[in-house]
This record gives sequence, C-alpha cells and structure tokens, in this order.
Amino acid sequence: MKTPSDENHDLIRWLDGEMTADERRTFEATLQNDPELAAEAESMRQLSESLKTHLPAEMPVPHADFFNSQIQVRIAQMDLDEAREREKAAASTASWFSWLRMPWLAGAAAAAAAFAIAGLVWTQNSSSGTSTIASTYTPNPAVHAQVFHSSDAQATVLMLDGLEPVPAEKKIVGFRVHRAESDAELATTTLFDENGAVLAVVAMNAKGQPTLLQ
Amino acid sequence: MSAAAPAATDPVEPLDVDLVKRSQAGDTRAFDLLVTRYRSRIYAMTYHLIQNETEAWDLAQEAFIKAWRALPNFKLDAAFYTWLYRIAHNVTYDWLRKKKIQGDGEFDDERTEHRAMPGSRTAPQGFDAPDRAMKRQELGCRIQDAIARLSPDHRQAIVLREIEGLSYEEIAEMMKCSLGTVMSRLFYARKKLQEMLKDTYENPV
Repeated sequence: MKTPSDENHDLIRWLDGEMTADERRTFEATLQNDPELAAEAESMRQLSESLKTHLPAEMPVPHADFFNSQIQVRIAQMDLDEAREREKAAASTASWFSWLRMPWLAGAAAAAAAFAIAGLVWTQNSSSGTSTIASTYTPNPAVHAQVFHSSDAQATVLMLDGLEPVPAEKKIVGFRVHRAESDAELATTTLFDENGAVLAVVAMNAKGQPTLLQ
Repeated sequence: MSAAAPAATDPVEPLDVDLVKRSQAGDTRAFDLLVTRYRSRIYAMTYHLIQNETEAWDLAQEAFIKAWRALPNFKLDAAFYTWLYRIAHNVTYDWLRKKKIQGDGEFDDERTEHRAMPGSRTAPQGFDAPDRAMKRQELGCRIQDAIARLSPDHRQAIVLREIEGLSYEEIAEMMKCSLGTVMSRLFYARKKLQEMLKDTYENPV
C-alpha cells in the first residue's frame, strides 16, 4: 500500500518526466479515476510552466565591466601573494642552509638528524630559482651531507649520514619557523617533540648570528 | 542537464575549449572572455538562490575566482559551463549553509528589487498589448516574491529543477541529499508556491 509520501512523489515524478513508460501509464490511469488527484496534477503542471516562463535563466550582472575587472584584479593579487610566499619560503630555506655552515650547529647536529632522516623537505621556487644549493658543509667530518633535488616535485631533500642516534626522549617530530613581520631573515625556529613540547629554539642574535635559546 | 548547454556557436567566437586551454596556460584575457560569456547565467543562479543582489554579485565573482584557481585541475572531461556551474552552486550552497548556522534564516528583509532585464529569455515574445505586458510583468514579480519566501532548501530544489532542468539525481548530488529528499523538497516547495500564487495560476495571464 502506498503512503501519502509515495503518492506525492509519484505526482512530481510524473510532472518532471522522471517515470518509466510503465509507471507513467499506471499513474495516468490513476489520474483518470481520481478527479481530485487529476486537478492537483493540472494545477502543479500550470505552476511549473509559470516558473519556467517567468524565472530568467540569465540576468544582467550589475556593473558588468566592474565585475570582470574586479576578477582580473583579484587574480593579479593572488599571483602577487603567491610570488611573495614563494620568496619568503626561499628566504627561509636560504637561512637554514647558511645556518648549517655555522660551527655552533655541531652540538645540535644530533637533533638535526632526526628530522633530516624523517625527510626534511624544502620546497623550491621553480620560477624564481632562488633556492639553489651550491654546496654543503658539515663541521663534523664524520657527517656526510647529501642533497637530492627533483624539478618535477619542486622539492629538495637534505640527508645527513653519520650522526649519532637521537635519544628517544629527544625525538624531534617537527619544526616551526616564525618569521618577523618586518624582515623574513629574522626567524626563530622551534623544534618540538610528538607531545608538542619544545626541545630547542634557534634564533638570530643582534649581530645576525644564530643562537641556541633553549 | 541544461546547465551544460551554452558554448560559442558563432564561428567567429572562440570555443570554450580553446579559451579554457589558454586560461590554463595563464592567459587571463581568455578567462575574461569566459567570464563575460557565462556571468549572466551564473549571476542568475546565485540571485535566484539567495535573492539578494549584492550577495549574488559577490558569490558569482567568488565562483569565477574559484574556477580560475581550479582550472589547472580541470581535465576538459565535461563542458566548461557544467563544471563552472557546479563550482558556483557549491559556493552558494556553502554560503547558505553558513547563513543557516548563523541563524539568519530567510533573507526577505535584505531583498532587493532586481528584475529580469528587458530582452532576456523571460521577456514577453512579440508585441503584447500594454495591459497584457503589465500583467505579465506583475506575474513575474509575484513569482519572484514567492520564490524568495521559500526556505533555502526548497528554493534550491525548485531553481535546480525548473530553471536549470537538472535531473533528480543531479539535484541530489548537488544538494548532497537522497533522491527521496529531493522529491519531498520539490513537492512541498511546489505546494507552498501553489498556495502563495493561488490567485495567479487560477487566473492565468
């Protein structure tokens, strides 16, 4: 037995041409014997026609030229913002590599190993090409640095071999770089463990030298 | 789906597929031509769904911006307009959903008096007598007002079905609901419109 909901659905499926041929024949036979349903169907059919006639599928866009020009402006702005982000990322990468040359890093080399082995990836700006790595230097001769670059992936991976294992309690799972708003070079880097606890903070001092804060 | 319909048919006009490929290569002028070609349809859709001229304008623009950003991933496996239409609908749907969460409910208070342009598809064909033309215009206004008074879900179902001609399955996909819900929404939306337009369709122009 059909519920009122089923009957309602039949009515609009008939109206919208969503019935199979058999369903349609059956429903139209029902309409013949049910004047009330037939009147309802006719009323809905008229309504549907009115809607199709009076609701425009196209409407003039107010200030159409401005509409287009604003889209162009926003696209240009997005391109500019993305270029700036890439430059910032490249500047950040350059900072990290320059820091790798500093003798102070020997003490923190073990910490660096953890995220190097985990696959530390610097994205590169392929269009500006500002983050090319010309050479690497490790203060400890037992440590060997290798750089892998993929143009397709737009990424560079730095591997450090020969470092001592990092104690389990010092396991670094990630790092976060905070840049000063006024100067992208003025960055503070925080290394943290899996609980989010800070293990080390590295920053530039007033002389522009990297300093281990914690 | 009628949303898939228009593309340049004038031999002088560049085809959608050519404009899309140029846009994907970063040609913003080609994208500008696509905006010009489809802005009236996208704006009509956003306007019908939210019934507010300013918001509809912003949402239509947002749809084109999102389309520009997504263009590199568009594989040309569907008509550009179909793809664009889905983006525009999603943008509007999200806006409506946020409005609903914020408890703004209906938008009647914000409604503007935007009407169809003369000469658009809805304009009377041929030459009507002045009184007949006026009645037609009045009927169009009454229908617009009635649509505006529907709930957002009912309004969406009606717009997608009656104006865009989407199938039930396409509507269900767009509105992220079941076929049964689509049918219920269409039924109750029509019942409400019937009630609101009772005088009108009992005495058609």
